[in-house]
Amino acid sequence: MSAVATQTASPLTRRHNPKRELWLAWWTLVVFYNFFFLVFFVITRVQPPPNPAWDTPRVVQWFHDNHFGLLAGFAIMFVITGMTTMSNALIAYSMRRMSVSRAFAYSYLILYSLSAIPGMLLMCIALTIGALRPDRDPELIHWIYDFAFLSFVGTMGVFLIGSLVWMLAILIDKNRVFPKWFGYLNLCNGLTEIVVSPAWIFRGGVLAWNGQIAWWLDMVVFGIYTGVFIFLLRQMIQREDFGTGPLPELSKAAL
Amino acid sequence: MSDVGENDGEGPRSARSALRRTDGELVLLWTLPASAIIWIGAFLLFPGFTPPMSPTMTAEQVAAFYRDNQAAIRSSMILFNWFGVCLVPVLILIVMQIRRMAHRTPIFSYCMLGCIAGGPTLFLIANVCWLLAAFRPERKPELTQLLNDFAWITFTTVVPFLIAQSVILALAIYFDDQSQPVFNRWVAHFNLLIAAALVPAAFVGLALTGPLAWDGALSFWLKNIAIAVWIVVMGVVLGQAVYRERAEQRQRVEERVAA
Repeated sequence: MSAVATQTASPLTRRHNPKRELWLAWWTLVVFYNFFFLVFFVITRVQPPPNPAWDTPRVVQWFHDNHFGLLAGFAIMFVITGMTTMSNALIAYSMRRMSVSRAFAYSYLILYSLSAIPGMLLMCIALTIGALRPDRDPELIHWIYDFAFLSFVGTMGVFLIGSLVWMLAILIDKNRVFPKWFGYLNLCNGLTEIVVSPAWIFRGGVLAWNGQIAWWLDMVVFGIYTGVFIFLLRQMIQREDFGTGPLPELSKAAL
Repeated sequence: MSDVGENDGEGPRSARSALRRTDGELVLLWTLPASAIIWIGAFLLFPGFTPPMSPTMTAEQVAAFYRDNQAAIRSSMILFNWFGVCLVPVLILIVMQIRRMAHRTPIFSYCMLGCIAGGPTLFLIANVCWLLAAFRPERKPELTQLLNDFAWITFTTVVPFLIAQSVILALAIYFDDQSQPVFNRWVAHFNLLIAAALVPAAFVGLALTGPLAWDGALSFWLKNIAIAVWIVVMGVVLGQAVYRERAEQRQRVEERVAA
């Protein structure tokens, strides 16, 4: 009798949510984007970005005004940037759940894993160095400023090709992991990386790195895109049946 | 969908090929002591580490440091450029062990792969900046100081992917519920401890003196000692796991041959 009891008890006590790895990745993604917003928009005030047309004394003044915020904010990023690997892993997983080759998942994983360094960490490092020595030669501080903002907005290809890889996978997929319109939203996100490219040329106007098109329009698209994929990934996890065929609809999966 | 068991084929033939796979893994595993020796050598050879350069040095002092120690800086950093990435194959062996764990998805091994790419890339950026500063030390001292700042800040803030690596490995171990888990629970606790020890280094920008400065007790000593301890401990437990996997496979082959 005791043997029967342990036999029935052990699977019960060791039972856990079979989707916990996916939920862990999803929650990590949500927490990361919250911290990202807090650090970039509130603590360091690097978003919306300052003006590329400023002269050297104004740039030095900007570093002076944001001294502590830059150093403390990017310190937070240095702690948490690794959380992006969870988000990349979950998105790569979404492509494995599709009826497409694993080449898509692996391509996306590599592209987005390497994107964190030129697309974000270089800026965090450069602005930390800029704020580190306020008495540095102002010309060099200005150089650091350009380096930081241009590496951040001007790292384009990894996000462009990464979005296109995800788009292609969604459009080819027959397992209905994501709606087809989300594939086209990926295209919109990819196109923002084309639209931002004149920021390498113009120091003022709508196409500069703080311009109405190169920053504001792109940020709106990126914001919508991120919100949508966070929502759709959540639905994907709810619908997940760990099978290989079409992903069940939400109402059936809930049963 | 699950990756679990993907490496364990059925039948004696595939078990034998699995044995051959772990033979290759043993070669990779035993590169670790050799790389460790090269790393320790390069670390001691770089005059900027013994003792760590102070962030309060003036631009002229930094320029003079690169002028006076050119040969040792170049040789140590070329060594690091060659062998700094030696840890990658060993870290991939950890990914292979994660794939043996009782997980439903490959999420953890994907995360690990992302981390493995990130850490060495950041280290190489620091390495290039050190070599650049030594290339033309007669350059304006402020420019040499800027390169030196880039090298030290990047080297110290290499931690994000190392923190994530330890936390992800710890979670992967906690989620590995099978009667004989791949790694013991204490390995997970140990990894969380290492991750915590690496956190202060992220705050290196906040101070030019004291424990948080890049030559300080937390940002330099605690961080680098934690990395060294992690490599040694993980090297040992990884070795045990690989040898255990090998023994299990051999046993399986013998059972099948007997049957």
